[in-house]
Amino acid sequence: MGSLGSEDDQARFASVVLPHLADAYALARWLTGDRADAEDVVQEACLRAFRGIGGFAGVNARAWVLTIVRHAAYAWLGKNRSAALVMVDDLEAVEQQQASGAPDSGPQTPEAALIAKADAARLEAAIAELPLPFRETLVLRDVQGLDYREIAEVTKVPIGTVMSRLARARRRLIERVGIDEPAHAPGSAPVDEARNEPRKVPGNHP
Amino acid sequence: MSPSDTDPKLLVHAYVDGELDPAHALEVERMLADDPALAAERERVEALRGAIRERLPREQASPELARRIATAVGMRSTAAQPPSRLAARPSWRALAASVVVAALVASGATWFVGEGGGTSATADMVVASHMRALMAPASIDVASSDRHTVKPWFNGRIPEAPRVVDLAAEGFPLVGGRVDVIGRAPVATLVYRHRQHLISLSAVAGGRALPSGRAQIAGYNVLSWSDDGVAYWVVSDLALGDLETFAKAFRTAGG
Repeated sequence: MGSLGSEDDQARFASVVLPHLADAYALARWLTGDRADAEDVVQEACLRAFRGIGGFAGVNARAWVLTIVRHAAYAWLGKNRSAALVMVDDLEAVEQQQASGAPDSGPQTPEAALIAKADAARLEAAIAELPLPFRETLVLRDVQGLDYREIAEVTKVPIGTVMSRLARARRRLIERVGIDEPAHAPGSAPVDEARNEPRKVPGNHP
Repeated sequence: MSPSDTDPKLLVHAYVDGELDPAHALEVERMLADDPALAAERERVEALRGAIRERLPREQASPELARRIATAVGMRSTAAQPPSRLAARPSWRALAASVVVAALVASGATWFVGEGGGTSATADMVVASHMRALMAPASIDVASSDRHTVKPWFNGRIPEAPRVVDLAAEGFPLVGGRVDVIGRAPVATLVYRHRQHLISLSAVAGGRALPSGRAQIAGYNVLSWSDDGVAYWVVSDLALGDLETFAKAFRTAGG
């Protein structure tokens, strides 16, 4: 295998790609939802990155690596879980419809204090359940800390789309993790409010 | 895009994410002050961001992955090396650092806008140290979130122990410290964390900071400033806005 690339390419690969291995794995893990699958995706992505290392313009190594990881993950999903990608196409249509027709306030508007205490497992599950375009946008921003411009570059959409996807992803998470009980009894949220919420929210009862 | 023709709720996200320039941020602050519903949404978004940062479990790739990749691209890389013993470290580290520096120079990935020679060389070295640390089996020599452990550790290793502050409350917990070599002098480097990103902060006594205060090298953001005769260098792959928040917190923290 030693003939795969020059030592120059290897040094470049070591300085450009390897520092971002943890980020690469984290993104692949969130996109595929599985440890072993994520490692396969990262390995495939690294091979692609190594072959393409000469084309790296030297501007933003992390965004470049994550773009390749995302490609590899989508290719993997297409091969192994085409259903996940079919949903993406549908979603774009749904996204447009909802944008105009959505009511102003969601069904759940939990208090910030409840969100801050969100159970880790529930938070993780809620992110995992987000549709792919929302999930990758949220993960790139709130887990990996990319800025909007970088996310637009990695996911190949305009910044306005990044903003609306991020807002929607967060909105869904807020609705999911802010509720106190998994049971959907209408009284569950007020009970918790009474316990640790000294302020009374005006206008809460029509 | 101007705030006036964008949904205020989207702008709140951009505001919380530090994506607005000062003029637009000011406009959003006014809207937040006028609209309690919008202010409540901002609190929820910040609470969610905090919960993701503080509570979401971080899963690491298996150590096997780096080895698999090194094999796949046909390299006997630093990542494929077994963790070296402490005694064997210095030579290995010097080697790794020199490889990285060579790679940086050769790749042309380094550039500055109007910088003089001396400080840009320092910028290269702090970035190389940071990158080398990320590739090493352990990116720190002393691992502790307690500044009263980290600061004394530097005594005897470098002439003057650096200022060590605890920034956990600001979202930047201390991870530990290490000694880097900048030029020919050992230099104290503190390592902080933000989400899963590491931040290296090197304190160079008597050194000079970058005239412009910032640079981007090989995709890493670099900030530098002087304070009380010490040049501080901060390196991370964090977004520039987050890194500036860190630098500001460090500069203003007592201790």
